[in-house]
Amino acid sequence: MSYALEVRNLRARIGDLEILTGVDLTVPFGEVHAVMGPNGSGKSTLSHVLMGKSDYNVEGDAFIDGVDLSGMTVDQRARAGLFEAFQYPIEVPGVSLDLLTTAMAESNPEDPGFGGRIAATSERLSMEPFRSRALNVGLSGGEKKRSEMYLLGVANPKVAILDEIDSGLDIDAVREVAAMVEALRSEDLGVVIITHYSRILRYMSVDKVHVMVAGKIVRSGGPEIAEELEGSGYTEYQVAAAG
Amino acid sequence: MPPTLTGSNDAAWMAKKRTAALELLPTLAMPSEREENWRYLDLSFDPDLDSAPSTPGVASSDAIVAGWHGTVVTIVDGFIVTDGVQSIGERNEETVSVDGDDLFSTAFVAYAPGTAYLGKELLTQPVFVDIQSTSTATTFPGVHVDVAPGSDATVVVRMSSNSDQPAVTVPRVTANVGDNARLTLSIIQDWNYATRAIGRCTIRLGRDSGLAFSEIGLGGKVGRLHLDVDYIGDGSHAKIYGAYFGEGNQTLDYRYFMNHIGTNTRADMFLKGAVADTALSVFTGMIRIEETGQRTESFETNRNLILSEGAAAQSVPNLEILNNDVKCGHGSSIGPLDEDQRYYLMSRGLTPEHADRLQVHGFFEEVVEQIPDEHVAAWARERINNKYIVAQQEGRV
Ligand SMILES: Nc1ncnc2c1ncn2[C@@H]1O[C@H](COP(=O)(O)OP(=O)(O)OP(=O)(O)O)[C@@H](O)[C@H]1O
Ligand SMILES: [Mg+2]
Repeated sequence: MSYALEVRNLRARIGDLEILTGVDLTVPFGEVHAVMGPNGSGKSTLSHVLMGKSDYNVEGDAFIDGVDLSGMTVDQRARAGLFEAFQYPIEVPGVSLDLLTTAMAESNPEDPGFGGRIAATSERLSMEPFRSRALNVGLSGGEKKRSEMYLLGVANPKVAILDEIDSGLDIDAVREVAAMVEALRSEDLGVVIITHYSRILRYMSVDKVHVMVAGKIVRSGGPEIAEELEGSGYTEYQVAAAG
Repeated sequence: MPPTLTGSNDAAWMAKKRTAALELLPTLAMPSEREENWRYLDLSFDPDLDSAPSTPGVASSDAIVAGWHGTVVTIVDGFIVTDGVQSIGERNEETVSVDGDDLFSTAFVAYAPGTAYLGKELLTQPVFVDIQSTSTATTFPGVHVDVAPGSDATVVVRMSSNSDQPAVTVPRVTANVGDNARLTLSIIQDWNYATRAIGRCTIRLGRDSGLAFSEIGLGGKVGRLHLDVDYIGDGSHAKIYGAYFGEGNQTLDYRYFMNHIGTNTRADMFLKGAVADTALSVFTGMIRIEETGQRTESFETNRNLILSEGAAAQSVPNLEILNNDVKCGHGSSIGPLDEDQRYYLMSRGLTPEHADRLQVHGFFEEVVEQIPDEHVAAWARERINNKYIVAQQEGRV
């Protein structure tokens, strides 16, 4: 049986700057993993590199459900089952959420489930008033995150990478996002939550926590690591990485 | 009432003006590209101004006209062919100044068979002015909108060709918006790609009046529109929108002049364009605030997408401010489709082609949604999007 996500010795450079220095990460189906790490350690870069953004020189391997992502374009990776919830969702003026979800359905003609998921996720997240608005334009920070979660529900991926989906949210919204991730948890999905706060992890269960420093995973373990980091910070790991 | 011979219905004042224009014409030269006003146009063509046809060709109808909920006024080859629509030249007084100030506008006075007068009676309903050209001869279609004080009017002017033959056309749209009146005016320029259109539009705004103006530029080998909005009345205000899409070897030349004369006037100008192949678009925006124009607020923005390597856009926002108590701003941009938007849309599973189509759609949507009729807006949206889709399919963008 293959893993939802398998990353082996993934490296990414921009020019001479090596941002990912050898990431290894395995997320089985049915599990939710958290990736934590200091600012600039490469967490967003990891999600962009997996998504296939063209800015980087990439080496190493990544698989979604056993399918090798190398050589695949961004849209091919999305259709292969990878979903990235953006830390900073991009504004697309004049393109409504409805227009995008319609286009998503058209892009996946062999998946008849879009209509049902649009209706159900819209209902669940009370998206009705937002669906005719332009993508991320004029949305509050929290509304942008909700919009990303809505698209995740519509896309129904095999792997979801949620990049700081809890940043800038009020307590209730954090709970709501946590509940939604819990609800998504299934044997057909692996989730990676990139976060700075153990707060969200209080409202949902994670199977593993990974610590990312200087472009690689330096420690993996159970949810207790998150609490530990809350007290100790990353200094110890950063010193080790620099050493 | 069959269309009559040009000039035969002229009131005395109009006959005089026509004669004067005819006398003046031989002394006027084709403008030169050395003049600032004409610098972006290739003027090396014969405008053949005295070739105006003596009768209109046969009008055709399409879905957009058939589906219009309101009045339709049809003008074919410059002739008003809809019964009961007066020409301004038939009226007893000069409702609006018809004087020309260059070769083309003087030729308009001399040769235009009539300028459709849209007054109180016609404007009780939205009016669609269907301007068609069937001729290779030079035509002079004209419309004047006279919005009575305190009233509301909606007018869509669509200009198109019934053939793919080359022609020159000199369309002219004028409007007077009375005190406290509102005008929503859309001009859709959809000439064939062999037609040179040298268009003029002049709008005068009364006290506390409002204008919502939009222009959609699709066709024309040359599509030029020189717009003057005169904010004469205190408190007059306008939103000016434009969208244009040039391809092939089209030149789309927009000269938009906001002339602030009264106090407390406000203008928001917002034009968006795309060019493909070797097309050229030009936006020359001028905010001119007279000494009398105290507390004017006036803004102009022009955004351009360059879709092919050989295409070019010029964006020239100008300000001429003769008093201090004003707020003004201008911005312009020229560049390719946005990489981040493409990445974001592709990350949702859309092919790059599909992502770009959405981005182009969205780019123009802010303007297209200003068209006052949902039907016409849907039609314009589809026309613009189709231009892009076909260019994509043919590998031109
Ligand atoms: N396009 C780029 N050009 C140059 N440097 C980049 C680029 N993208 C990322 N970097 C650098 O790579 C490093 C990692 O950035 P990344 O955004 O992945 O960090 P992060 O772990 O997500 O940080 P944060 O917690 O602040 O979101 C940073 O030092 C960043 O400046
Ligand atoms: Mg980040």
